[in-house]
Amino acid sequence: MNQFLAASSRAFQWSSAVASSRAARRAPRGGIPTVIVLVAGAIIVLNYGLLYTGSVFVLSACYAIVTAGMAVQIGFSQQIAFSQSVFFGVGAYGVAMLNTHYNISVLPAGVIMVVAAGLVALLLGSVVTRASGLALAVATLMLPLIAVGYVSGTGFLGGPVGAPLNGTLWPGSGSTTLIALGGGLIVVVLLAAVVFIASRILSSDIGLELFVLGVDERTAASLGVRTPRRKLELFVLGCVCAALGGVAYAGTQQFVPETVIDPTTELALLIMLFIGGRRSVIGAVIGALVIQYLQGASNWVSVNILIVEGLLLTVVLLVDPEGLSGIVATGIAWLRGKSALAVAGAELAAAGTPAGTADAGREAPDELAGLPLSSVGPAGALADGTLGISAVGISAVGDGRQAEGTAGARDTALLEVRGVFKEYGGLSVLHDVSLALPGRGLFALCGPNGAGKTTLLNVIGVSVAPSSGEIVFAGADITRRAPHERFYLGISRTFQAVHLIKGRTVLDNVAVACLASHTASIVTRIGRSRLDAARAKAARTLADLDMAHLADREVSSLTLEMQRMVELARALAPGPRLLLLDEPASGLSEEQRQRLATLLATLAERTCVLLVEHDLALVAQVSERIFVLSGGHLVFDGGPADFRASPVVNSLLVGS
Amino acid sequence: MKFGNLLIAGITTGSIYAMFAVCVSVWYRVSNILNLAVGDFAMVGALGVDNLYRVKGLPLPVAVVTTLVVVAVFAYVYDQVVLRIAQDGRRPIEGIVVTFFFTFALSFFIDGAAKVLFGTDVHAAPTLWSGPALTLGSLNFERAGLLVLACAIIIGGAFWLYIRFTLGGKALEASGENSTGARIVGIDTRQYRRLIFVGTAVIAAVFGIVESPITGFTYLSGATISLTGFLAAAYGGFRKPGRALVAGLFIGVLEAMLGGYVSTQYGDTVLYAILAAAILAWPRALGFESAVSG
Repeated sequence: MNQFLAASSRAFQWSSAVASSRAARRAPRGGIPTVIVLVAGAIIVLNYGLLYTGSVFVLSACYAIVTAGMAVQIGFSQQIAFSQSVFFGVGAYGVAMLNTHYNISVLPAGVIMVVAAGLVALLLGSVVTRASGLALAVATLMLPLIAVGYVSGTGFLGGPVGAPLNGTLWPGSGSTTLIALGGGLIVVVLLAAVVFIASRILSSDIGLELFVLGVDERTAASLGVRTPRRKLELFVLGCVCAALGGVAYAGTQQFVPETVIDPTTELALLIMLFIGGRRSVIGAVIGALVIQYLQGASNWVSVNILIVEGLLLTVVLLVDPEGLSGIVATGIAWLRGKSALAVAGAELAAAGTPAGTADAGREAPDELAGLPLSSVGPAGALADGTLGISAVGISAVGDGRQAEGTAGARDTALLEVRGVFKEYGGLSVLHDVSLALPGRGLFALCGPNGAGKTTLLNVIGVSVAPSSGEIVFAGADITRRAPHERFYLGISRTFQAVHLIKGRTVLDNVAVACLASHTASIVTRIGRSRLDAARAKAARTLADLDMAHLADREVSSLTLEMQRMVELARALAPGPRLLLLDEPASGLSEEQRQRLATLLATLAERTCVLLVEHDLALVAQVSERIFVLSGGHLVFDGGPADFRASPVVNSLLVGS
Repeated sequence: MKFGNLLIAGITTGSIYAMFAVCVSVWYRVSNILNLAVGDFAMVGALGVDNLYRVKGLPLPVAVVTTLVVVAVFAYVYDQVVLRIAQDGRRPIEGIVVTFFFTFALSFFIDGAAKVLFGTDVHAAPTLWSGPALTLGSLNFERAGLLVLACAIIIGGAFWLYIRFTLGGKALEASGENSTGARIVGIDTRQYRRLIFVGTAVIAAVFGIVESPITGFTYLSGATISLTGFLAAAYGGFRKPGRALVAGLFIGVLEAMLGGYVSTQYGDTVLYAILAAAILAWPRALGFESAVSG
């Protein structure tokens, strides 16, 4: 019982910590950078608007509108698409054409062009975002190459000479001063709006989704991220920001040269983004300012701008891959370092030693060690006695979805694999595999290396389409469902090699699985983020697993056992109905295995757990039914007693 | 015989693309970095020889050797300074920053330096084998083009022999398959990263020298060459030099055919559209899936 009290008190400390940090952070998300841009921009435009300094500032602000969008799309979500210069050109040329040929004033023409660019991006994006990674980069690299060939060939857009404008961004008429300052202020407002939206997206629950998408698309999909939709949204966002920047450019410069859609514009924008800091919206703005002001810094610099930019980019990236904003952030963190350390030390002293947790965790296996292996037997017995506490905790994890799944689930099958074949090329990996699992219990899948265990898990969990046969989950055919849909139906999985999101805390790694944002679009989260709710749910799961003290640790600083536990916590957090575990015990010590075994037994009380495992002792100890695959054929299906006695199993797994 | 002459032109430019693509993909295998400065080394080769020979008045062989030595030393120093800090330190930089942006910055730096050293006009290295075009029936063979083809065959063949039949080549292949695994069995992958970087820089410079009489170079020509090398390497899946070679030849021939039969003005536009469509249609077959995870 002490363990339970310890766990719940830790959970309480954690939730109160969340509450206090929430109270401490009064400024709305994205508010500070937006206000900085708005105030600083207005001051610069009003004071220097008619001077060189002011005109360079307005030009950099036009580019910053584009780079802020790139920070979300390219830097943060790592969707490298070279479409910015083309859409910058669409915005700029479009406004110029509407203005000179159809006499539409610049501001309404700009609105028309941004909407048009959004629609074009939606069409184009639905084709190109089917590609991932370098394929996306290379496919979109063709866009500026195609566009430049088109523009230089057509007289309609002014060809190599360029297109002039009659009007400016400022809608009214008046003195030249008013028009110049008014246009500059409009650009500042547009930039502030883009910074606001981008910052709010990145700090919302969808921001966390996008981060995971950037690290690993497949892991993201298996955690419920609707990857095709997010990629399309990011592409459209990047294109719309680029078109908006183009509109601002045309409206303030009153001339569109052919070079705006050149690949060189694309490269210049990328340099701004990476010097400023690729993942930071405000960094992207700073990058645009630095590059633009650099060109006019001195005569020598403007002549040798290529050398200066090349050296600057190299040095900045060597010092910090996150660019200037990363350097500034590190500097601030360093300055705050000493005081923060002191605070952390005091908190630790107040909360009791973290070592206490480790001791509590060790108690259970010690008790188990006294029992002979055979008597540990199937799941239920354990949970009643030694680990009742955790069982209480785990049941609290489940949400509504799980509750409906477990009602009377013993009788009907939750998962049915019906006659599945899988071939890669001519190689048959799975041959007529059929099995059915009920709504709860612990089941194991064994077999020699290359037997098709992981393939079967992928066919069930990650939309690797079988060559024939079908997968039925909770009465629905999911054979060809996308991975994120399976996740939302209640299928969670862990990976043979740990797939955690480096650079994020344990809490965020678990929170990813609690987002429930699959139906939301990027724009809906500008208004309200659900990140705190997801983090709170993740914190509860961690507390239930006695891991609350790890919440703020960066995942790559953890031991392998802890990383596996975090992955397990991530799989458990959404309250899955079917849990697929791919060799959860590999790399763990005997003691750690026993701890895992007790935990699995508890889980099986509520959920259906399918385990791929090589450790036969562990398998026989915890599972109520065991499946053995060999060469793609299901060769054994029975309880642990039969499993131990079976000559087939012995010759396959023990003899070899 | 329009087709035959277009084919010859296509194979000539294609072999240039192919060599740069091989340079990009061989180095990507060992370093996981895309060399976007490969074209800039070619530009330095051409303009450097031109400058030393025509302006400084050095004898041609001396000019060629000096230029190649300068390129090699520069590449060596760059690896020792920048790439060593970026990749071999306690905190190696990963992901797109190191894959694209260090060589991207290098490309800017080289272009800027070339502008200072060689000016902004169009120049070319002197033709190493001058004379009128050779004819065979109605087919015309430009001597400069034949020289390019000969270089491609000799250098490409030597490269293939090296990878296929020497221990160094095997180590290189191992580093490409699995860098960590190669390191565990005692292969110094950093040494190969340096060796191949310097080697491909010199090869690129040689190609710049033999190619420039055909096209003429300015200090900004490097980016276009890098782009074609990058594209052809992309269609070889970035890690497969053999496929990059075929892709380079194919793109060269396709470009010549589109220019000859479809439209001189919009030929390139159509080419790029076809290339983009090919990626979207068959990303797996073109080797992009494996490149993505790398």
